[in-house]
Amino acid sequence: MAEPLMALQHLTRQFDTRRGKITAVDDVSLALHPAEILCLVGESGSGKTTVARMAAGLLKPSAGTVEFEGKDLQKLSKDEFKEYRKAVQIVHQDPYASLNPVHTVGETLSAPLLHHKLAKGRREATRRVGELLELVDLRPAENFITKYPHQLSGGQRQRISVARAMALNPRLIIADEAVSMVDVSIRVSLLNTMLKLRNDLGVTFLFITHDLAVVKYFGWEGHVGVMYVGKLIEYGPTPKVIGRPLQPYTRALAAAIPEADPDLTRSKEKLQLRSLDIPSLTNLPGGCVFHPRCPYFEEGLCDITMPPLVEVAPDRHVACHIVERELTGQIIAAPATRQAAAD
Amino acid sequence: MTSTDERPTTPNAQGDPVPTRDATGPRPDAPVVLRVEDLWVEYRTERGWMQAVRGVDLEIRAGEAVALIGESGSGKSTLGFALQRMLVRSARVARGKVTYRTRDGKTVDLLNVDDKQFRQLRWREFSMVFQAAQNSLNPVIKVSDTFQETARAHGEHNKGRIQEKALELLRKVQLDGDRVYNAYPHELSGGMRQRVSIALSLLLDPQLIILDEPTTALDIITQRAIIDVIRTLRDQLDFTMIFISHDLSLAAELADKVVTMYAGEVVEDGPVRDVFYQPKHPYTVGLLNAVPPITGEDFTPLTAIPGATPNLLNIPSGCPFHPRCPYRTDICSRQNPPLVEIAPAHYVACHHHDQVTKEPEIWEHIEVEEVAEAAV
Ligand SMILES: Nc1ncnc2c1ncn2[C@@H]1O[C@H](COP(=O)(O)OP(=O)(O)OP(=O)(O)O)[C@@H](O)[C@H]1O
Ligand SMILES: Nc1ncnc2c1ncn2[C@@H]1O[C@H](COP(=O)(O)OP(=O)(O)OP(=O)(O)O)[C@@H](O)[C@H]1O
Ligand code: SF4
Ligand SMILES: [Mg+2]
Ligand SMILES: [Mg+2]
Repeated sequence: MAEPLMALQHLTRQFDTRRGKITAVDDVSLALHPAEILCLVGESGSGKTTVARMAAGLLKPSAGTVEFEGKDLQKLSKDEFKEYRKAVQIVHQDPYASLNPVHTVGETLSAPLLHHKLAKGRREATRRVGELLELVDLRPAENFITKYPHQLSGGQRQRISVARAMALNPRLIIADEAVSMVDVSIRVSLLNTMLKLRNDLGVTFLFITHDLAVVKYFGWEGHVGVMYVGKLIEYGPTPKVIGRPLQPYTRALAAAIPEADPDLTRSKEKLQLRSLDIPSLTNLPGGCVFHPRCPYFEEGLCDITMPPLVEVAPDRHVACHIVERELTGQIIAAPATRQAAAD
Repeated sequence: MTSTDERPTTPNAQGDPVPTRDATGPRPDAPVVLRVEDLWVEYRTERGWMQAVRGVDLEIRAGEAVALIGESGSGKSTLGFALQRMLVRSARVARGKVTYRTRDGKTVDLLNVDDKQFRQLRWREFSMVFQAAQNSLNPVIKVSDTFQETARAHGEHNKGRIQEKALELLRKVQLDGDRVYNAYPHELSGGMRQRVSIALSLLLDPQLIILDEPTTALDIITQRAIIDVIRTLRDQLDFTMIFISHDLSLAAELADKVVTMYAGEVVEDGPVRDVFYQPKHPYTVGLLNAVPPITGEDFTPLTAIPGATPNLLNIPSGCPFHPRCPYRTDICSRQNPPLVEIAPAHYVACHHHDQVTKEPEIWEHIEVEEVAEAAV
């Protein structure tokens, strides 16, 4: 396959907190190819935003690297880094917090154009702002240019955030829960708008959400990575991971989701977890991090070592001893040897 | 206070236990516990009174689980607060009547009883669980103290009995009762706090509980736990439930009856299967077409409802949904359609309900009609 646009390699990030050191992201490796959609899904605190911030160059990894077009971010010159920050744009969750309330839409969108000299003068900036608004389906553009954030609905504000990200012709958009705070119908139209950016303009997406149904819709043609307490525990093509999740946590997640269909949702087969408690990052269980909750737990195997992410079927990567044994007929390294290797 | 396990039924006026639910939902002969008639609620704003609830009619039977759905700002919480007389001071009930039937069969004019009488009803007759994100538990008051205080304020003084009941309810909501009872809310996760709030709302055996967004902002697996908890509680105890959610799948999971709100009005009201499988208001259809499914091997393209919810200070003429509606005709901008019964217990407010189907095609090319700025 062609060279990835971005490669996250063994990304790890620790934080010192009042309760001790935590590893918010632990050895995550992922690749994004041009015009690909990579979704990252996981519960609150699983490390998604921390991955996003490292990928965007806003946070230094404790270990591992972020490579963009084959170059290590840490080794970029100042100018190269500036270019990088143009090529990779973030859209955040909260459209209130991310737009300046005293700037009109026109001002918000023309500022980056003028600052980065992507428009020569006001007139060209205004024309370009009009194009950007059309691009994110805010039509007619004139109606929006003079508006302030408080005069817009939540969905419209989020469109402005997307338009602002698009102002610099980015290669990659990192959308961190970009549709989590808007209503169902607005969510779909935002997703459709972003899909259009990807389909028509070839924008690559790192799309972060806690909602597997949104992943299915937005990331259907791409890959999805599932995170749990800082670790990547499953990765594969979206239709496959959602149609037939393998890692027990992913299975539990898919089974837990209610559907907007009374007969279907009430008869859906549930997967009973052994415990509802999400472990604390300051006190992670030994062995597989999911074992205290896992319905497939096997003593003497799951509580001994953390299973690594392995390819258990073509392009299907799973971190689970049981799945690994079922699908590959073997456990790549016996628990005892692995223990020794870890020591 | 009776033990929760001994109370699977509601006594009728004669004191005989009458089950209000059977396996499929409320019994058709169950009494109406709450009747809302032409309720209007307004907020004072710089630009005048803003109508957040506009002429709502609603009837809820004993044992029923009713979902109020609709997008942000449609007035769901305002309606919930109004029913509990918990509106903020800048709000007023401009018109309307709310009639409540107590467990022992007395009728109460909820909006007009005096405060003292009303206080006696709260918690014992009905209680509210607030929107999950803005949890009502005080983070520095121990869970045990909250339970004891709530019970004492309503005339229950036997500490041992209160504790016993609290522990039993905490276990029912799948919590480690002893640990949680002695904890501070800030030591608990969001999902645990939400379950504590649900347990607390049931402490004094209310007949009716209102849950505002009980699962919003919680992780999926926690949401699932809460759904299961609510379902189990309803199988074991006998209470009527109104829950407010913008999440249609929650309604699909738990409701017997679904009420769609738009711009402060009820636009559809019907049995859950009717509303989901044969929705007859274009707005309900639009909402349903916008929810991504998780089950199924195929990709389902989704269509959005064009445009945005109206500014409540500038509500469109006629049917409030008409600027966004693919079925609209001239009459829609002139006359607001009344809520009419189009099938047994299924009510819809739409001039063209007989044409409405779930087919998504009609939504693809609609011009949203501009709403003229109201003169201020
Ligand atoms: N700057 C920081 N200092 C200390 N801890 C942090 C910092 N940033 C993140 N964390 C912790 O790292 C963990 C992962 O956080 P992160 O925000 O990446 O999770 P997330 O998956 O994005 O969660 P959410 O779905 O809630 O947004 C959390 O326990 C969080 O509290
Ligand atoms: N305290 C208040 N003062 C003024 N306006 C308010 C107040 N509370 C709510 N509103 C307005 O009343 C309308 C209805 O709000 P409400 O909270 O009832 O909607 P909702 O359907 O519960 O929405 P959500 O899904 O966002 O919770 C909105 O336009 C809102 O801005
Ligand atoms: S009354 Fe008219 S505008 Fe309103 S929902 Fe029905 S068809 Fe649409
Ligand atoms: Mg996050
Ligand atoms: Mg609300």
